[in-house]
Amino acid sequence: MTTSETAAVAEAAAPAAPAIPKNRLGGARRRLGWIGMACVGLVAAVVLAAVVGQFLVPYDPTVGSVTQRHLGSSAEHLLGTDQAGRDIFSRLIAGARTSLLGPLIVVGATAVAGSALALAAVWFGGKVDAFLGRVLDVLFAFPSLLLAILGVAIFGPGLVTASIALAVAYIPYSARVIRSVALRERHLPYVKAAELQGINGFTITVRHILPNVWTQILTGSTINFGYAIVDLAALSFLGLGIQPPEADWGLMISNGQESLQQGFPEQSLYAGLCIVATVAAMAYIGERLGGRAAAGRSKR
Amino acid sequence: MRFLVRRLLALGGVLIASSMIVFGALYLAPGSPEQFLVQGRTVSPEVLDAIRAQYSLDDPLPVRYWNWLSGLFTGDMGRSLLTQQDVGALLASRIPTTLSLAAYAALLIIVGGIGLGILAGTRGGVAERIVIFASNLGIAVPTFFAALVLMAVFSVGLGWFPVFGAGEGAVDRVWHLTLPALALSLPSIAVIARITRTAIVEESESEHVLIAVARGLPKRIILWRHTVRNSLLPVTTAVGMHIAGLVAGAFVVEYAFTLDGIGALLVNSVQRKDFAVVQAIALIMVIAFGVVNLLVDLLYTVIDPRVRLKKGQ
Amino acid sequence: MIGPELMGIDKLELGIKDPDSGALKPVLKSISLQLGRGEAIGLVGESGSGKSMTLRCVLGIEPRNAVVSGRIMFDGEDLRSLPSERMRRVRSGRIALISQNPHAALNPVLPIETYLLEGMPEIRDARAARARAGELLEQVGIRSVDRVLKAFPHQLSGGMLQRVVIAGAISGKPELLLADEPTTALDVTTQAEVAAILDEKRRDLGMSMIFVTHDLDLAAAVTDRLAVMRYGEIVEIGTPEQIRDNPQHPYTRMLMSIRPTLDGIRPAAPASFGAAPHQEIGSIL
Repeated sequence: MTTSETAAVAEAAAPAAPAIPKNRLGGARRRLGWIGMACVGLVAAVVLAAVVGQFLVPYDPTVGSVTQRHLGSSAEHLLGTDQAGRDIFSRLIAGARTSLLGPLIVVGATAVAGSALALAAVWFGGKVDAFLGRVLDVLFAFPSLLLAILGVAIFGPGLVTASIALAVAYIPYSARVIRSVALRERHLPYVKAAELQGINGFTITVRHILPNVWTQILTGSTINFGYAIVDLAALSFLGLGIQPPEADWGLMISNGQESLQQGFPEQSLYAGLCIVATVAAMAYIGERLGGRAAAGRSKR
Repeated sequence: MRFLVRRLLALGGVLIASSMIVFGALYLAPGSPEQFLVQGRTVSPEVLDAIRAQYSLDDPLPVRYWNWLSGLFTGDMGRSLLTQQDVGALLASRIPTTLSLAAYAALLIIVGGIGLGILAGTRGGVAERIVIFASNLGIAVPTFFAALVLMAVFSVGLGWFPVFGAGEGAVDRVWHLTLPALALSLPSIAVIARITRTAIVEESESEHVLIAVARGLPKRIILWRHTVRNSLLPVTTAVGMHIAGLVAGAFVVEYAFTLDGIGALLVNSVQRKDFAVVQAIALIMVIAFGVVNLLVDLLYTVIDPRVRLKKGQ
Repeated sequence: MIGPELMGIDKLELGIKDPDSGALKPVLKSISLQLGRGEAIGLVGESGSGKSMTLRCVLGIEPRNAVVSGRIMFDGEDLRSLPSERMRRVRSGRIALISQNPHAALNPVLPIETYLLEGMPEIRDARAARARAGELLEQVGIRSVDRVLKAFPHQLSGGMLQRVVIAGAISGKPELLLADEPTTALDVTTQAEVAAILDEKRRDLGMSMIFVTHDLDLAAAVTDRLAVMRYGEIVEIGTPEQIRDNPQHPYTRMLMSIRPTLDGIRPAAPASFGAAPHQEIGSIL
C-alpha cells in the first residue's frame, strides 16, 4: 500500500486525526505558511532548550537568594525572580526538559502498548479481541487524570511514575483507534494470502500490517503529545508529578500561585504561557500538515 | 426499555470491574498492604488493629473485597488513615461543593459553548472569526492555567471575585464558584463552540435545508427548526462527553482555588498518602463518570428519532 | 388543455466558478424555453447535461459559486430580479419542487405531519391544517393516513415518501411543478405508480410541469413536449412523436437509435459521442 492509500485508510478510520505525509518536506514548507513556520521555530527552540538548555542557563535554576525575591524584569534577570530568589528565565529553560521528556515517555509507552494490544486483538480476533475489548471498556470507565492519580497514589510521585500512569490512561484510546485501522488491514486479501502461504502471525503483523498502521500510530502520538504536556503539567501542578526544587513548567505554575496571590504573577504566568505556546504551536503545525486536527476529543 | 436495561447491566458490569481495580490497586503497591497504608508513620497498636479490621487483612482476598464493597453500600467507607475521621461523613460534607461546581461549569459549557457556536455558525463574518480564533486558544490553555490567569486578573488584580473558598449561602456560593467554574469550563467551551459552528455550517449545506429553501419556508424557520436543531444532534454527544469529563477536571480547579470539594480532598489525600480516602473518592468518581455517560447516551436516543425508533422504545 | 404562456426561460446561462483558479466552467449555455399554462415539458438528457441545474435556476437555488445570466419570466415577472421576500412567496405558493431522493429531502427528525403543515402557512388553525394534510395524503393514494402522519421519514419506503412529497407539492395548488427525476431512485414497480399519481394530480389541478429525467419513455408518457439537452444546451424540442419519428439533431438521432427495446439492443454508439467531455457514458436511455 502506498503512503497516500494508507493515509486514506487512516483518515477514514479516524476522521478526526491528521495524516502526516512522509517524504514531502518541500511541500510542508508551503503548506505551513508564515505562522506555521513561526510555530516550527518555536517548537524547535523548546526542543533545543530541553536538550541543551540546562548547560546554557545563566543561573542555576534550583538555587536562589532570599535577598533577590520577586524582582521584576531587568538586565540581569530577564524575566525576574520567583519567591525563592531563583531566576525565572533559567527555570523556564531548564523546565523545558521535564516538560517535554515526560510527554515523550507517555507517548512512547502509549504507542508501544496501544499498538501491541490492538494488533494482538486484531490478529487473534474472536475471544482474544472480545476479552481485550472488555478490559479496555473498564479502563474507559476511568477519566484519564483519575487513573493517573491512582497510579501516582500507589507508586509515589515523580516524573517516571506520573508518565507511566498517564500512559496507562491513554492506552485505551490509542488501542481503540489503532485497532480499527488494523482491522481493515487484517481483512484485506494480501493478508489472507500471506496466511495461506504459512507465514506465521507475528511476522505478518510486523512485516505487513504494522507498516500500514504506522501512519495512524504516528498521528495519534502527535496528538497525544499535546494532551500529555498539559496532563503532566496538571499532575505536577497538583504536586503529584515532578517534585520541587526541580524546574518544570507545571510545577512552576503551582509554585508561583502564592506569589500570584500576593501580586507577583510572573512565575506562574510565564510558565503557563510556555505550555500554551508549545501546545498551540504543535496543534497548529499538525493542523496545517494534515487537515483538521482532533477538535472535540475530550478524554478528561 | 430493553435498551435501557441492557445499558444499565453493561454499566453495572463495568463498575464492578472498576471497583475491583480500585480495590486491588492497594495490593499493587510495593510492600505489604499494612506497610503501604501506614506509610512509615508511627502508629499505635490499636490503630494498626483498626486498619487490619477495616481492610479485613486477616481474611482471604475475595472476602476482603466483599467486605469493602458491601461496606460502601451501607455507607461505611472506613476511616481516614490519617485523621481517623469517618470517610463517609467526610465525603458527604464535601460533595455539595463539587456538585455545585460541576453543575455551574456544565451550565456554562452548554450556554456558552453552544451559544457561541450558534453565533459563529449563523452570523458568520467577524463574529465567526473571533469565535474560531478564541476557540483555538481555548483548546491550548489547560484548565489550571486558566484558573490562575482568571485568579490573577479578576481576584488579585481587579478584586471582583474572592480568591479561595466556596462561600456560605446560595448567592455567596455562586459568587465564589464563578471563577472556578469558568476555569473548569473554558477549554470545553472552546471545543464545543468549534464543533457547534462546524455542525451548523455543514447542516446548512445539507439537502433537506436546500429543499426547505425551495419550498419557500420563512428564513427563521429554516434557520432554527431545520439547521440549528439538526446540528445539535452531534453537538449533544460532545457536550455530554465534556460534562462527564468535568468529573476529572474538577479536582485541578478545586485544588487551585482551595475549594472544599471532594476533588481537592482526593489530591490532598494522595499527597498525604491517605489511601482509604483515595479509594472511596476514586470509586465515586468512576460511578459518576459512568452514570453521566449513560445519561448522555439515553438523551441522544430521546432527541434523535432515528435511534429511538430503531431501538423499539 | 394548454393555455397562454406561463413561463419563458430566456437565454439562461450558468457557469460555476472554480475557487482555486477563478475560471468559469460553463454548465448552461443559452437555454431558452417556453411553457404554457397546463403544459408539461420534459427535459431529457444524460447526467451532467444541465437538466437539474435548469430547475434550480428557476427556483433561484443554484449553488453559491454559480454565475448566472439571462431571464426567467414567470407570469410576466423576471424571477431572477425579484427581491428575496417576493421570491420566497413565489416558492411558497406558486412553484413546487419534487426532488430525486425523498429521504434526503425531508428533515429526518421531524414527522411527516410537520413536513406537510409547513407547506400550508396559509391555514392558521392547527386542526384544519391536519385535516387538510390527511386529505392530501388520501389524494395521493395513501390509506393509513394517521400512521403516516405520525411517522418519521426513515420509517417510510421511498415510494411512500415520494407520494408524501407530491402531496406536499400540490397542497398550495401551485401553477408550476418542477419534477427532478422523481422516480429515478425508486424500484421499477413503484416508479410506475408514482409517475401515474404525479401525472394524474397534475392534470387534475391543471398545473404546468417541467419533468426532468433520463428516461425517454417515461418523459414521453407524462409530457406534451420533449426538450433534449446535451452539454448544457437544448439541442431539440418537439412532441414525443416528432422526436421519435423525425429526430432532427444528430444527437437526438443517436439517442433514438441506441435505445434497447424488447426486440433487442441496437448497435452501441461510439463511447464519447453523447457524453460531456469530462464524463464517460453514463446512464443512457
